[in-house]
Amino acid sequence: MTRFPRLLAASLLALGTAAPVASAQDLVVGFTRDADTLDPANHRNRETQTIIRNMYDGILTRDSSMEIHPELAESYTQVSPTEYDFVIRDGVRFHDGSAMTLEDVKFTLERLFTEGGMGDGQTSPRQSLLGPLESVEITGEDTVRLTLAEPWPLLPAMLPFQEVVSKDHVEAVGNDGMATEANGTGPFRLVDWRKGDSIIMERFDDYYGGAEGIEPVGPACVERAIFRIIPESASRVAALLAGDVHIINELPAFAVPQVEASDVADVMTVNGTRSFFIAMNNQGEIFDDVRVRQAVAHAIEKDLIIDAILGGNAARIEGILSPDAFGKNEDLPAYDHDPEKARALLAEAGYPDGIEVTMDVEGAFKDTAEAIASMLTEAGITTTVAVGEGALLTEKWRTMGEPKEGDMYFSSWGNGSLDPEDIFVPTHMTDARGNSAGYSNSEIDRLLDEAATEVDREVRASMYQEAEAIVNAEVPYVYLWVPQDIYGVSRRVSGWSPSPDGRINLHDACLN
Amino acid sequence: MSLARLVERLLQLIPVLLGVSVIVFVMITLTPGDPVDIMIGDEIVTEEQEEAMRRDLGLDRPVHERFLVFLGNAVQGDFGESFYHGRPVADVIAERLPATIELTLVAMIIALVTAIPLGVLAAIKRNSILDRIATVGSLLGVSLPGFWFGILLIMLFAVQLDLLPVSGRIGYAFEIEPITHFMLIDTLLRGRPDAFLDALSHIILPAITLGLPMTAILMRVTRASMLEVLRQDYVTFAEAKGLARHRILFRHALKNALIPTVSVAAIETGSLLGGNMIVETVFGWPGLGRLVVESIFVRNYPLVQAAVLLYAVTYVMLNFFADILYTVLNPRVKL
Repeated sequence: MTRFPRLLAASLLALGTAAPVASAQDLVVGFTRDADTLDPANHRNRETQTIIRNMYDGILTRDSSMEIHPELAESYTQVSPTEYDFVIRDGVRFHDGSAMTLEDVKFTLERLFTEGGMGDGQTSPRQSLLGPLESVEITGEDTVRLTLAEPWPLLPAMLPFQEVVSKDHVEAVGNDGMATEANGTGPFRLVDWRKGDSIIMERFDDYYGGAEGIEPVGPACVERAIFRIIPESASRVAALLAGDVHIINELPAFAVPQVEASDVADVMTVNGTRSFFIAMNNQGEIFDDVRVRQAVAHAIEKDLIIDAILGGNAARIEGILSPDAFGKNEDLPAYDHDPEKARALLAEAGYPDGIEVTMDVEGAFKDTAEAIASMLTEAGITTTVAVGEGALLTEKWRTMGEPKEGDMYFSSWGNGSLDPEDIFVPTHMTDARGNSAGYSNSEIDRLLDEAATEVDREVRASMYQEAEAIVNAEVPYVYLWVPQDIYGVSRRVSGWSPSPDGRINLHDACLN
Repeated sequence: MSLARLVERLLQLIPVLLGVSVIVFVMITLTPGDPVDIMIGDEIVTEEQEEAMRRDLGLDRPVHERFLVFLGNAVQGDFGESFYHGRPVADVIAERLPATIELTLVAMIIALVTAIPLGVLAAIKRNSILDRIATVGSLLGVSLPGFWFGILLIMLFAVQLDLLPVSGRIGYAFEIEPITHFMLIDTLLRGRPDAFLDALSHIILPAITLGLPMTAILMRVTRASMLEVLRQDYVTFAEAKGLARHRILFRHALKNALIPTVSVAAIETGSLLGGNMIVETVFGWPGLGRLVVESIFVRNYPLVQAAVLLYAVTYVMLNFFADILYTVLNPRVKL
């Protein structure tokens, strides 16, 4: 019998030594989700974008504080409200060695915004991200002009989401080839895509260096960069602690102390761009009264939830915009936690005995919703939490003006560009796609409409500030918080910082 | 069993598959949630742009028309283009299927080689401490959630002991040109024992997690059928004749006792496919199960339809195979 355990130990040891020892220059990211495709024009997915962006550069980019910088462009100027000129860099090479030309830039954008621009009658699913872009023309030796059908101040904020492809390459490999091959101008070139498992990239030595405004300029620091797909968060944390990976995204708040207590990794946070809120059915019998909505706002102790459930990793908001967004109104009055006031408001609205309501929520946020429900119940708003699947709840609540069933919906909206148009319009404009509260206010509609095409930045910002003051008073939604994105980062990593738009830019990261 | 009978059984599969296709199509189409809406997410989009997306995905056509197109194409092995991958569904599935099959087979092997000896041992030493441990163990095996057990194994073997990797199929240091697309076989065929050991170290934890409930069930089945066989007259006769104990057990009893074990194993392999979805997520295993779950959430109709059809075919074939195996092992049973 003594032989068996020894044999077992020996074989385990053999396996142990066979476990991969990452080379000193392999930077590995433990990432939630695989790319759907490697074609920059054929997806609508943030994770896909994050992966692709390390192999493909764009005309413009952002740094980790969300400031916009020219990348493949040298500079850009707004010539008129509807025209922008981009001076394109010289000497940029694609991974296949060919030089990037103005034709490539023009082709890239036309493939994105033209109806049927991808060939075979197919339109890019990213078309709407380029708004009213109407034409792209080469106007000089090094200049392309983008012309818009109407003024659209969002253009520079949206261009970092698009990457330049090689016209010759696309024509040679077609859409099918683009889905699995990568030929960009970015700091890393594709070595192998093991679907569902990992994306292995190596440093592109002929890299032009990246945006001049973002240090360091030059080839990437590490020899290879790898995205390893680990969907389960507990496994991602384990992989970080075991040293299998060096950066992980979506570190759950409950695992923060575990990572902080380890001596191999640290926690890094960055303000996210997703605003959380509770939509109240403004068309319903109960919540059509602003006093009831204000009662809900006063019943919730946001700070306690942020501290206790989100581990302090969120910024509270009193309007729809993130504290980092353009046009944020800094002077919004806060709805203090005041259950007595809530009860008084309810009584004033004709509910001296309180109300009974249901709050819809997705499974992932059940804990938070239940905490909110207990606070509401204490203030006389007896709340039942109903958990539903995301797509079902979206269909139930985002009815675009059609009548809807339901009382309250714990939900959120992302704002990757940090421009208000991206979040304010869809959630507050009458009958808009994401207007789950069913809110309608002609003054808000007017302000949002005018701001969308206002070219003067200051005037535009003041319009959003005014709009935010209105919705803060009318509370169609209870605005809750913007959670931080939390990353686990190995102590061996230097030079890298997370970015609010979720990009993981590995160009600057080094491994010690 | 005659060849004609075999062909007849195979022909019976056709209406089954047709029925499954109808059910799959109807279920996913009737499930609330609009694929285009999910795809757009939190972005601004004009009505025209939304219509264009719907048209590109073929969702602007009436349901009955979509079903006929789906059926017509499916018969020819064309399941359409994945909404998200920009490539044919068949290609996307083919990339992920080998990993799932490999994991399932290894899990099954682990289950068989542990369950049968333990089951036999428990039967021979009935009511002993060993039997009781095995009974409690098998109860735990079926009741432990795979999700929890998998994480536990990771914490122990990958984080605490640092013996095995947390996730994936093989280390990225290895580049193995695929032949069979089964990593364990390909590494050997390419003459890379180091890569083979690495692949083995990756598959061991997910395979144990996946195989655990099956091990438990097979052990119970083996124990029960072994006990029953040991009560048969021919065993008593063999004992009376003075045959050696091990000869009776392994030459005569075990052969008969394994009949139910083998057929249960074949059927249980089908249920491993379900378990795969969880295990693949926990261990970042690049298989089909994970892909299907992700696709259901985003209503990637073509992929879900094709994958569920594939699962159905596999399940039906496994049952069919179990039936045949049963007749081979036990000639008294006829199909």
